[in-house]
Amino acid sequence: MTIGILIAIGLVCGLIIYMVYIKVPQKVKGLKKTEELNAILPGMNCGACGYAGCFGYAQAVAKDPDLVLKTPCSLVLQDPERLERLEKALGVTLDASEMSKKALVHCTGNSEVICNYSGAQTCKAVTQLLRGYKKCPYACLGLNDCVEVCPQDAISIDPEKNVAVVDPEKCTGCGLCVPECPQDLIELVPAGTKIAFLCNYKPLKNIPGREKCDFGCIHCRKCFKACEDEAIEWNKETALPEFDREKCTLCLKCIEACEQNTLADFTKMGKEKEVELVSA
Amino acid sequence: MNELIAIFIGMVLINNFILVRFLGLCPYFGVSKKLGPAISMGIAVTFVMTIASIATWLIRNYILIPFDIEYMNIVIYILVIATLVQIIELFIKKTNMALYFAFGIYLPLITTNCAVLGITLINATKNYSFLGSVVAALGAGLGFTLVLAMMSGIREKLELANTPKAMKGLPIAFITATLLGLAFLGFGGMI
Repeated sequence: MTIGILIAIGLVCGLIIYMVYIKVPQKVKGLKKTEELNAILPGMNCGACGYAGCFGYAQAVAKDPDLVLKTPCSLVLQDPERLERLEKALGVTLDASEMSKKALVHCTGNSEVICNYSGAQTCKAVTQLLRGYKKCPYACLGLNDCVEVCPQDAISIDPEKNVAVVDPEKCTGCGLCVPECPQDLIELVPAGTKIAFLCNYKPLKNIPGREKCDFGCIHCRKCFKACEDEAIEWNKETALPEFDREKCTLCLKCIEACEQNTLADFTKMGKEKEVELVSA
Repeated sequence: MNELIAIFIGMVLINNFILVRFLGLCPYFGVSKKLGPAISMGIAVTFVMTIASIATWLIRNYILIPFDIEYMNIVIYILVIATLVQIIELFIKKTNMALYFAFGIYLPLITTNCAVLGITLINATKNYSFLGSVVAALGAGLGFTLVLAMMSGIREKLELANTPKAMKGLPIAFITATLLGLAFLGFGGMI
């Protein structure tokens, strides 16, 4: 009797599962396309595209192929093979060099340390307590907030200068580090950027770049004057140079002219150590 | 109505599933490292608890009691809960892919969560009415979510705190758990 009822309940349970499996219609449309796209996507689920993981992005793109032009997956843009497959699957062409982005830390990190900080070792904690522990209130604090969030290990802390440096070769431009920086130092710049501007010191009035940091921009306009290709425009409102990467020929005259060493060759960033090793 | 309110408050605070009854302790330490997953887990558990309570109440009152085989309730409840979770998972997978990915691994994991079996057995021993067992399940799930959220919030802060090396991670979490348990002891005997 008891055994009979138990068996009956078990059978009914099994049957219900079977019925649900057979009868409930597959309502998710375009699943085949979604799965095809999902196989092309890197599957890192970084969330940089704004969708819940790669599968969510694949679903959205399957519904609306134009979406890929507006918010391209930054990881696919890095990978020519995946890019080609995605272009084939969707029938569109994507210009990788225009759309692909790289993270850049706008700081040389040379500002003097003015207090001995020994609290919680994260940049966010420091900025909540004080305005940083360096002389320049906008300086990179180098406490690993961005390093930890980077899925590609592209960011490292330069131990001498105590500043975060992004390796453009490893960086996929996912942008996860941008909101992590409490100093707002990290910006996504186009991958084809040639000259990197490494200062974020904003107040103009008393132009104290030199006082706060040996490498800060002092708005001397020397880079603007040095450029022979008219690739640098001087923005009078912010008093900062603006670089036109189309016209720039990478002659590096602006970098030579900058006495503050605020400018750097973006194409060689993150590789300085190797260069030093070779020369040594 | 008063009885239902008493059941609800009793389940959320006084007889809290984690800190007083010690049920569902694995997710208490397993998924309490970050606030987001902890709350997802809590919602998923509440959902399954409620559905399981409804199903087991029906089976208990229309099959087990008439045939006088209540002593087999654990076996049957386990079967019913496992089936339910499977059906829900299948259903969500077929109708709403986004929700399926939001629940992720938690839904199948809940099948083996003792808190779900616990609520059905408590409903049976206390002889709650249909509405009573639903309210009890909702309260138990809410209490579970509350404690999980509290624990994960504290553990997020603990990550930043300057704890001794030997106490980092799980040891300090265990100490926190005992303190939280002591705090919930204060609710004892309120009803």
